[in-house]
Amino acid sequence: MAIDRETLRYLGWWLAFGVLMCLLPFVVGTGTLRILIFAHFLAMFAMSWDFLSGRTGYISFGHPFLIGIAGYTTAILSFRFDVPIYYSIPAAIVATMVGGTLFFLPALRIRGTYFALVTLAFMEILYQLTKVVAPKITGGTRGMSGLESIVTGAVNNYYLSFGIMFVTGVVLWLLIRTRLGIALSAIRMNEEAVRSTGHNTTKLKLFAFTVSAAVSGIGGAFYVHYIGSIAPRGMFEINFLFTILVAALLGGAETIIGPIMGAYFLTVLLEYLRPVMPGMERYLLYGAIALVLYVVRPEGIYSIIADAGRKVQEWRR
Amino acid sequence: MALQILIQGFVLSGLYALIAVGFTMIFSVGRVLNLAYGVYIMLGGYIYYAALQGAGLPVFASFILAILAGVTFGLLTYLLLVRRLEDNPIAVEISTLILAVVMQALIVVIFGAAPKTMWPVIRGVLRFEGISVTMNILLATGVSWVVLGGLMAFVRYTHLGRAIRAVSMDRKGAVISGIEPSFISMVTWALSGAFGAIAGVFFATFTQLDSHMWVFPLIISVAVVIVGGIGSIVGSLIAAHIIGFVETITTTMIAAELRGVSTMLLIILVLLIRPKGLFGRAEL
Amino acid sequence: MTATAGPLLEVRDLHMTFGGIRAVQGISFQVAEGETLGLIGPNGAGKTTVFNMIMAELRPTSGEIWFRGENITRVPTYERVKRGIARTYQVPQPFGEMSVGANIRVGMAPDDIWKLVSEGADHAAEADIGRSVGFSDEQIDMLPSELAMGDLRRLEMARNVAVSPTLLLLDEVFAGLTLREIGQISELLVEKKRKDGLTYIIVSHDLRALAPLVDRVIVMSFGEIIAEGTFDDVVRDEAVRDAYLGQ
Ligand SMILES: Nc1ncnc2c1ncn2[C@@H]1O[C@H](COP(=O)(O)OP(=O)(O)O)[C@@H](O)[C@H]1O
Ligand SMILES: [Mg+2]
Repeated sequence: MAIDRETLRYLGWWLAFGVLMCLLPFVVGTGTLRILIFAHFLAMFAMSWDFLSGRTGYISFGHPFLIGIAGYTTAILSFRFDVPIYYSIPAAIVATMVGGTLFFLPALRIRGTYFALVTLAFMEILYQLTKVVAPKITGGTRGMSGLESIVTGAVNNYYLSFGIMFVTGVVLWLLIRTRLGIALSAIRMNEEAVRSTGHNTTKLKLFAFTVSAAVSGIGGAFYVHYIGSIAPRGMFEINFLFTILVAALLGGAETIIGPIMGAYFLTVLLEYLRPVMPGMERYLLYGAIALVLYVVRPEGIYSIIADAGRKVQEWRR
Repeated sequence: MALQILIQGFVLSGLYALIAVGFTMIFSVGRVLNLAYGVYIMLGGYIYYAALQGAGLPVFASFILAILAGVTFGLLTYLLLVRRLEDNPIAVEISTLILAVVMQALIVVIFGAAPKTMWPVIRGVLRFEGISVTMNILLATGVSWVVLGGLMAFVRYTHLGRAIRAVSMDRKGAVISGIEPSFISMVTWALSGAFGAIAGVFFATFTQLDSHMWVFPLIISVAVVIVGGIGSIVGSLIAAHIIGFVETITTTMIAAELRGVSTMLLIILVLLIRPKGLFGRAEL
Repeated sequence: MTATAGPLLEVRDLHMTFGGIRAVQGISFQVAEGETLGLIGPNGAGKTTVFNMIMAELRPTSGEIWFRGENITRVPTYERVKRGIARTYQVPQPFGEMSVGANIRVGMAPDDIWKLVSEGADHAAEADIGRSVGFSDEQIDMLPSELAMGDLRRLEMARNVAVSPTLLLLDEVFAGLTLREIGQISELLVEKKRKDGLTYIIVSHDLRALAPLVDRVIVMSFGEIIAEGTFDDVVRDEAVRDAYLGQ
C-alpha cells in the first residue's frame, strides 16, 4: 500500500473522527446513542451500496437482498439450530458473499437500467420466498424474534457498531484510493475501454461485488442481533432500499465519507423530527429534501461541505 | 381446470396490459424508466375513491377526476424531474424511485395507513360452467382492450401519434415530422398519467387501496417491458399475456403464494437469455 | 522482439453479420511485423467492424484470427492486449471524469487485483508517457472535456502506449483534426514506430495524410476487399474509384 503524505493527513482526520465518536458516550445520553447505532448500521449498508454502485456504475436496487441473506442466515443458525453466534455470523457473511456472486451473474450480460431491475427482482423473490418456503424455519411472514444479542446496553452496542463501521470505512477508503479504486471507477465511465487497456473487467467486477456483499453481510448480521428480530416485511422493502440509497446519495456517492455522513444526517434528522411528526410525514419531508438535493446537487452533501471549505480557505487568503 | 386457467389468465393479462401500457410508452419514447409510474396507479385509485365514496360524486365524474389527477401528476413528473435529468437514465430512475416513496408517504398522511376497500365499478358476477368471474374484472379487461386499441389507432392514424411513434423508433424522427420534441414528450407523459390512473381504478377494485399498492403494478410494468422489449404495443400486449398466464398457471397448479415469484423468475430468465426482450428492437 | 517467421497478424476469411446486415464478408489479410498497413474504403465498408473483431470486441460470425502464429480467435480482449494488440477508437473513448494522468494510469495498471492494491502508481512514468505523445505538464492534470480533438486522439495514443503494444490499430486517427494536428499526429506515429518498432493498421479517410505513412493499402467496400497494393497502385485502380464515387 502506498501511504503518501496526503493519505497520512486524511488518516489523521479519520483518527480524529474516531476519537471524537469514542468520547461521545461520556457526553450524551443513551437515547442519542441508540439513534447513532442505527446510523452506524445504515452507514454500513450505504458504504456497501456505494462500493458497488458508486464505483462501478452497476446500480443495485437489491441491496436488501444481500442484507437479508446475512440476517436470515445468522438468525436461522443461531435461533433454530443453536449455533453459537461467533460461528453463525461468519457463516452469514460467507453466505452473503455467495449471494453477491448471484448478483454478479446478470452483470456479465446487462448493465444500466436492466441490471438495477434484476437486482430488484432478486429482492422481491427473496421476499416472497421467505414468506412461503419452510415457514417453520424462517418464521414465515412473522419472521423470528428474541434473537441472541452480542453485547448488552446502549453504550456497548454503540462501541460495537461504531467499531465495525469505522474499521470498514477506513478499509474501504484505503481501497478506493489505490489503483484498484481507479480501475473500478473507470468501469463506470467506459467498461469497454477498460477491457481494451488489458483489464479483465469480469474479475474486477467480481471483486467489487464480493467486497460490497461482505460489507452488507457484516452489517446485516450484526444488525439483526442488535435489533433481536427479523421479518420479510421491513427487510425486503422498497422503503429500506430507499433509505440506503438516499443515505449514499445524500452524502455523495463515491467517497465513503459521503455515505457515512448521509447515514448520520438521515438518522438524526429522522429522529429529531419524530416529536414534531410522529408518522409518515417524516418520510415525506426527508424524501422531499432528498429529491430536491439530488436534482439540484447530485454530488451530495459532502461536495457542498468540501466546496464551502474551499471557499473559506480562499476567503482567508 | 383448463377452462378456469384460460378465463382467469385472459382476465388477469388484460388487467396487466392496461397497467403496463402507460409505463412502456414512456420507455419507448424517452428511453427512461419511470419508477414513479406506480404512483399514477395509486393516485388514480385514491382520487376515484375520494370522489366516489368520499364526496359522493357519480362514477363517471369520479373517473374523470382520477384521470385528470394522473395527467397532472404525469406532467409534473416530467417537467420538474425528468426533463432536468433526461440525459441520465440512472438519475431518472433513482429520482423517480424517491418520488414514489415521497408520494407513498403523502398518501398515508392524507388518507391514513389503513387499507381501504373500493366498490367495484360495476356489480354482478358472471357464472359459466361452474366458474365465476366478476363483471368488474370483465369490464377492466374490456377497457384494457379499448384503451390499447385506441392507442394503436392514435399512433397509426393521427399526425401526432405518428410523430410519437417516429420518436420511439428514432429520436430524430420528431424533427422530421416537424413537431416540437418537448411537446411530444409532454403528450406522452400526460397520456401515461391518464392510462396509469385508469388502470389504478380497476387495480384498486381488484385488490384494495393502500399506500404500498404502487409496487406491484410497477413490477408488472417492468416485467412487461423486459419480456416484450420496447417499441411495440402488440409486443407489450403479448408480454402481458405471457406474464398473466404464467402467473395463473403457477398459482392454480403449484401454489398460490408463488404469485410474484414466477413473474420475477420470468424477468430474470428473459434478461439473461434475450436481454432485448422477446420482441424487442432497440437495445439499452 | 521475438523473431517469427510468419506474419505478425493474419485474419482468415472473417465474416460478421448483424441481423440481416452482412457487414464483413470474407476478409483475409496479413500484416508483417514492422509494417504499416492502410485500411481504406467508403463509409460503412466494415473497417471498424474488422478492428472490433481483431480486438475481440465482436465475435466473428466465422473466420479465424492469428497472432504470432497462435490462433487467438477465442482469446478475450484483455488477453489480446497482453499479447500486444491495442487500438484507438474512431470516436475517442476517454474515461470522462478522470484527468489525462489518471487515464494513462488505468492503461499502465496491471491486470492483477493484488498488485493494484499493493503497488502505488508511478506518477513519473505516467508523465513520461504523457509527454512522449506530446502533452504538456499542465495538460496531464486536465479533464478530457477540456481537451481539443487532437489531444483526445493523443490521449488514446498515450493509453495505448501504456500497454506497450506491438500492433496498434488506429481507427480514423485524422478525423476531426486541423491540418496542424494531423501533422503532429503523423509525426508522433513515425516517431513511435522508429523508437519502438510498432506495427500499424491505420484506417483513414484522409488519403493525403495516410499516403506517406503506409507501406501497403487494402481497400474495402461492402464488407469485401476490392483492391490491395501500394498506395499509388490502389488509388489508380478502377474498382476503387468506382467504390468511392458510388458513395
Ligand atoms: N453493432 C452493430 N450492429 C449492427 N450493425 C452494425 C454494427 N456495427 C456496424 N454495423 C453495420 O456494419 C456496417 C459496417 O460498419 P463499420 O464497420 O462501422 O464501417 P466503417 O468503419 O467502414 O465505416 C455498417 O452497415 C454498419 O451499419
Ligand atoms: Mg468506422
